[in-house]
Amino acid sequence: MATHSDDQRLELLQGTLDMLILRTLTWGPQHGHGIGQAIRAQSDDRLKVETGSLYPALHRLVKRRWLKAEWGVSEANQRAKYYQLTAAGRAQLLREQDRWSRLVDAIGRIMNPAPADTGK
Amino acid sequence: MRPDEGDLDEEIRGHLAIDIKERIDRGEDPVSARRAALREFGYVPAVREEMRRVWYSRWYDQAEALARDMRFAVRSLIRAKAVTVTVVVTLALGIGANAAIFSVVRSVLLRPLVNRDADRLLYIRQTAKGTGTENLTFSVPEINDFKSRATTVAAFGDFSTVDFTVIGFGHEPRLVKAGVVNGSFFEVMGLRPVLGRLLNAADDGPAAAGAAVLTHRFWTTALQSNPAVIGQTIRLGPRAATVVGVLEPSVPYPEETQIIANMVTSPHHSQAMMNTSRTHRMTELFGRLAPGATLEAARAELSTVHASVMRQYPQAYSARARVQLEVRTLRDQLASPAQTILLVLLAATAVVFVIACANVANLILARSVRREGELAVRAAIGASRGALRRTLLAESLVMCTGGAILGLLLAAPLVTVASRYAARFSIRALDATVDASVLWLGAGLAVIAAVLLAFVPRLPSSDRTAAVGLAGGSVRLTPGTNRRLRIFATIQVACSFVLLAGAGMLIATLTALQTANTGYDMRQVLAIDVPALATAVVDKNRSTFSPEATRRIRELPGVQGVAAGLVVPWRDLSFSNRLPFSVEGYQTADGEERPTAQLRVVSPGFFDVLGVPILSGRDFTSEDRSDTDPVAIVSQSVARRMFSSADAVNRRLWFGTAKPRRIIGIVADADDQNIVQAPTLTIYEPIRGGIMGQLANRLFVRAAGDPYTLVPPVTRIIRETSADQAVERPATLEDVRAEVLTPERLNTFVFSALGGIALLIAVVGVAGVLAFSVGARMREFGVRLAIGSTPHDLRIGVLRDGIRIAAFGIAAGAVGGYALVRVVERVFGAVQLPGALSVIGAAVVLIGAAAVASLMPATRASRVDVLQALRSE
Repeated sequence: MATHSDDQRLELLQGTLDMLILRTLTWGPQHGHGIGQAIRAQSDDRLKVETGSLYPALHRLVKRRWLKAEWGVSEANQRAKYYQLTAAGRAQLLREQDRWSRLVDAIGRIMNPAPADTGK
Repeated sequence: MRPDEGDLDEEIRGHLAIDIKERIDRGEDPVSARRAALREFGYVPAVREEMRRVWYSRWYDQAEALARDMRFAVRSLIRAKAVTVTVVVTLALGIGANAAIFSVVRSVLLRPLVNRDADRLLYIRQTAKGTGTENLTFSVPEINDFKSRATTVAAFGDFSTVDFTVIGFGHEPRLVKAGVVNGSFFEVMGLRPVLGRLLNAADDGPAAAGAAVLTHRFWTTALQSNPAVIGQTIRLGPRAATVVGVLEPSVPYPEETQIIANMVTSPHHSQAMMNTSRTHRMTELFGRLAPGATLEAARAELSTVHASVMRQYPQAYSARARVQLEVRTLRDQLASPAQTILLVLLAATAVVFVIACANVANLILARSVRREGELAVRAAIGASRGALRRTLLAESLVMCTGGAILGLLLAAPLVTVASRYAARFSIRALDATVDASVLWLGAGLAVIAAVLLAFVPRLPSSDRTAAVGLAGGSVRLTPGTNRRLRIFATIQVACSFVLLAGAGMLIATLTALQTANTGYDMRQVLAIDVPALATAVVDKNRSTFSPEATRRIRELPGVQGVAAGLVVPWRDLSFSNRLPFSVEGYQTADGEERPTAQLRVVSPGFFDVLGVPILSGRDFTSEDRSDTDPVAIVSQSVARRMFSSADAVNRRLWFGTAKPRRIIGIVADADDQNIVQAPTLTIYEPIRGGIMGQLANRLFVRAAGDPYTLVPPVTRIIRETSADQAVERPATLEDVRAEVLTPERLNTFVFSALGGIALLIAVVGVAGVLAFSVGARMREFGVRLAIGSTPHDLRIGVLRDGIRIAAFGIAAGAVGGYALVRVVERVFGAVQLPGALSVIGAAVVLIGAAAVASLMPATRASRVDVLQALRSE
């Protein structure tokens, strides 16, 4: 499974984990392990979320009422906690997405300055 | 929403199970799949802790640790029930007593008055120390002198009391005490109405309409706070008044009244004598400081005015009376009589608290000795000293909280008792309630006790821990602990001694008062006030109870006799003045003052009914009313003093210039004014017409059985003969006297109760110390028995130990108490020291109690089984 060596793997930027979790859950309720796997798969194995960060983040989001948690039975036939977006969570995701794209845009402008006279 | 601890574990387990299953599904073997999953997850406890921290803050954990300690403390205290109950009850008594006394002290001494700018409200009083008169009051001309000359006082308020028979409010006629005031009184007092209006300048003068203000207590209790009474017209004796308002709750001073009315309602106040006689004193005087004036300036100015008035009218101020003026704020006036007694009481309860704490300290110390093994084990397996101390603190907190809660529950009824008690000294005590500040006091005392108590026991020291504590697990008493135990026990005995000696002094005083011979047969005589329509114009033809009523009462079953008199002994104290009289054939020696005697008007049968023996001659009869042959009966003291041994019967005496009266009988002395009987010169006259006949309106009924069963039929008969007649205050003479003795009885009761509590606690303390010392010395006793001591020797040894503690305590208490009295005397002036009997009595009681307390441990020491004791270690 470890198709990327450690140095190719990216460190998550501070504060983006919450957004990624919220985004992942737009596909439907999922347990913690599944969320971790989904992030990893979606990023083509470039992002790996440490369980030590993932679970506290999930609990934080539940506490802020952006997620709600329910006990269910997993594919492994094991009781697992399924997380699900709330309406407030969806609104928060939109806010964070917007903030993120503005941040990427701003950083992009600095890192790759557009040539002054050659317009698009 | 908050997940519990199990949720966290289950979530982690679920994560690992899913991961392992996926790995196995991908072809890994179960063992390495499990290993890889765990590796990838990271350190489970750390992750779990981080998840947990989202929901549970560090404060929560701290609180939880303390709560855990407390729960542990509760569990271990439940196992040690006897100690716990003793500690909690002891603390509850200490805290409850302190809270109660403190509430009363606060309401009397510390709480502000409702009166506006109370520190500018003056109370002015004339005293005549020379004649023993604390409050001479003022006459109208005297007050007018102050009003016209004083500049430091902006306004004066007059207040005098009269009794009115009130008819109105839809009630039976009843006698009320009323204040009669001038129009500026309420402005001076700075009081507001809760309903309607108060009196003002428009209510002054003879042309004003009668107006009355109800006091708050009267309105709320007798009239059920009925607002419709405003505007009603009531009859006050012969006059009428309109109820104009209700006064706000305020301290009634100098006397509690039911209503306060303007001058015009009282016929007495419009008489010439009232307004012109300088010695017709019956008015209390209040004043409000002028803007900018100080208390000292007002005192100086009023004293100057007073001195010049005294020079101007020397005949109104006899040199012997030593008339003086006192000016102070009303607040000081209200607090001063209660101050000493309350502070003494506060000190006594503080002493009880000290005793309680000392005793609790002892119990906890003893308990900690027993627990040394447990603490040592906990220290050995790694508990820090802080953690051990926290355990002890949690334990003492639990006990002190229990003590405080129980104590404050106790405080509520105690406040009721204490405020009634203190109301004898200051009316303000009646408003005392348990409130937040008292709760804070209770909590504060509990915390102080808890912290002190947590630091009383010694912790196992780190180096010796394992060796000593773990070895036997038995009780060992180190010299240090033993000394502490003894010191606490000695403190208890010392404090108890001081309280007991004080209580003994009060008991001795009370016993002397209660057993004193009064000259009356008190138990079977019912006294009833049947007042004439108060302040009514005197109707010479009208007697308050007709012969018809008297006859019908006499015929009631269970009535042995009926009589009328001028005063109810010890209750009617306004007839104590003595009149000069002369006796046929008696010349006053040079320099001897003319003899004076109290005049009492009584009906025939009075002496029989009240149980005053007729020593010679005869009683009055209904034929003695005639003016042609006026007669009198004299007390034994009169006969002895005026006629020596000669028979006084048929001799003559007279008051002033009145017609001589023939003495027809001599009766035993009976003092109706002083609680302790003094030889009394009393001259009795039969009821005839006139003012004195009107005043002789106290009815005495001698009952065969329970006198109180006669109250309803007697009242009914009086009402049937005169519908408007008030019938008041029926009581046996015994109860009247008990009522007068109430302050003494209460003092004695309170101090005896405190002394009793102290004694009880001290006995428990001494017994506890000895029990522990015996428990710890079992081995020693075994050895001593083995080498030839007898059980009797051991028993005596322990007894001696207990008595030694008591003796040290008594000595310390005597020295400390004496020093305390000296200190107190410096602040408050002379203090009565308990007599030798009380001191010795207290010492004997304590020694006896200590001996009794030592008995059980002593017996235990003498029953030591030698072999078992020696084998035990």
